Amino acid sequence: MEPTQNPSNRQVLVVEDEHFISELYVRALTRAGYRVTVEVDGQRGLELAKTDRFDIILLDLMVPTITGIEVLRALRSPNAKPLKAKIVITTNLEQREEIRADIEKQADAYLVKAEITPRELVEFLHTIK
Amino acid sequence: MDHLQRFVSQFRSRVFVVLLLDNAIIFGDWWVVEHVLKLNDLGLALSLLASSVIAITILPWVSARYLTQPTRLIWQAILHIAPDTTNVPAPDLKRRGIGHDLVINLVSHVYQLASVVDSVEKTAAIANRDLHKDFVAKNLPLPLIVLDKDQNIVFANKAMCDYLQRTDGETSGQNIYSVLDLSFPSEETLDKWLQNATQNAAVTTKTWERVRLNIQGGTTTRRFDLAAYYNRSNPEGFETMLVLFDHPSYTQDDQALSFVALAVHELRTPITLLRGYIEALEEDLEGKLNEEDATFMHRMKAQAQSLTAFINNMLNVARIESDQLVLKLQEDTWQDIVTTAVNDVSLRAKIVGVELSAEIAPNLPKVGVDRVGIYEVLVNLLDNAIKYSGKGAGKKVLVRAVLNKEGMIETTVQDSGAGIPTSLLANLFEKFYRSHRSRNQVGGTGLGLYLSKTIVDAHGGHIWVNSKEGAGSTFGFTVLPYAKVAEEKRNGDNNGISRGAHGWIKNHSLYSR
Repeated sequence: MEPTQNPSNRQVLVVEDEHFISELYVRALTRAGYRVTVEVDGQRGLELAKTDRFDIILLDLMVPTITGIEVLRALRSPNAKPLKAKIVITTNLEQREEIRADIEKQADAYLVKAEITPRELVEFLHTIK
Repeated sequence: MDHLQRFVSQFRSRVFVVLLLDNAIIFGDWWVVEHVLKLNDLGLALSLLASSVIAITILPWVSARYLTQPTRLIWQAILHIAPDTTNVPAPDLKRRGIGHDLVINLVSHVYQLASVVDSVEKTAAIANRDLHKDFVAKNLPLPLIVLDKDQNIVFANKAMCDYLQRTDGETSGQNIYSVLDLSFPSEETLDKWLQNATQNAAVTTKTWERVRLNIQGGTTTRRFDLAAYYNRSNPEGFETMLVLFDHPSYTQDDQALSFVALAVHELRTPITLLRGYIEALEEDLEGKLNEEDATFMHRMKAQAQSLTAFINNMLNVARIESDQLVLKLQEDTWQDIVTTAVNDVSLRAKIVGVELSAEIAPNLPKVGVDRVGIYEVLVNLLDNAIKYSGKGAGKKVLVRAVLNKEGMIETTVQDSGAGIPTSLLANLFEKFYRSHRSRNQVGGTGLGLYLSKTIVDAHGGHIWVNSKEGAGSTFGFTVLPYAKVAEEKRNGDNNGISRGAHGWIKNHSLYSR
């Protein structure tokens, strides 16, 4: 797994309402040289994402105000301005196959948080172009 | 009445002509005999007799044929349209003759009457049919659909429209597969059965249990039993009839799954955190821990990881029970999958001091598998082998993958553990089954082998165990090479074969969405 670009130039937005989890992710990401912004609220996360200054968006599906699915849909809608950011869904929610397939189609990756450690997450992000 | 009067006057004039002709023949005969031939009285009498015989036989015969022509034409017209007679041609009305106008007029009346009778019959039939339809549509509590030979919906009753949450207008006339997105528990799907029925049967019936209806692209599902009746020679093109039997217990299964899904979510958050903290501590304390603490740290990590695996097992068992585990068989490299699984359990093997090795035959054909599903089978078998190998020196687990004689890819996991008594082997792949002895020594829930068997079965392979008490156990399973799966795929959709744990198949495999 080779980094495709220097992580220190990469901006990550973490939309996650579980404080302990975002804390662990921020720790691992900043250690690896990423610059991280955390947002707990779906609506505010969407506004931040629209500024298009992020390279990667980690998006939890169960967040307050509007859900991660709604954020994803808004960002990927045909009317929305295309973003440079890759969207990685990070969730512990279990979906029906069909819904999951639908989300995977719109996002760049889909990860189950319980199945990866923060370090594995960072390694995975290195591989995302 | 004009035609009739004209016919009467034509008839009168023809009869007058015949009588005149008759008299003229006799009178002419007498004149010729008397003045030209000058025969005696006997000759005259004989000649008159001869001419009157001719006059009374030939003339009536000719005139009768001519005068009854209208009757014959009308008679022919009636027979032509009469329901019981066959092969009577329509009368030729172009031939002009006596009473021509009258014949044309009457024949046209005959035809008109016949068409009225015909349309009355048809109207009655339609009225009857609509009455039946209306009765069924309103009163039959079971959802019912009738299809024509093109599998378009001719008729859907009210219960069906309610069930589908569509109006009759949105249902009738549509293709069945655009209205009903169904998944079946067996290889014989509705479209396969119908295809077979239309080719080979005149009348046939079929029932399915636990058919799944996907609503709104699968975001909602409903389940029921389905009965189908096919009759090729039904009138009005009513070829196939489908009846749905709703099952309340099926809905309960769905609710059970959503409970498990919720529980899984609740369990995963603390596990995410535990694994994160263990990793963070491991990084920060690297090199600072004594040997015992480092071992504890390692074990903690391995246990948290197997908890994640267990939660996935639990979820998958719930999916199997409610027929919602869907596997997508795709082309993959077996060596990659086996190596990944071996690497992922190597930490646990190391902790308990088991030597783990893999021998994978070179040049194995590509396999047709659901990567996530079959990976779980491998991890479950490897985990068991590691767990039951016990502790101490010389404990080994060997994974082998070869191409067997049947052309299947066979994988075995051999351990050097205590083995399993013969009496227990038969139940090993059942749910919640664990050998009595193993209960006290190692953790686990007895879901792993049940899940493995279900997943391998759904792949079209089989799973087995060879074991002897004191001599270790070997678990093996087979998967199909991709070439064989591709055969199936050729008849299926383009995104790979979708199969459920019990072999669920999408209904409209022949119809792309």
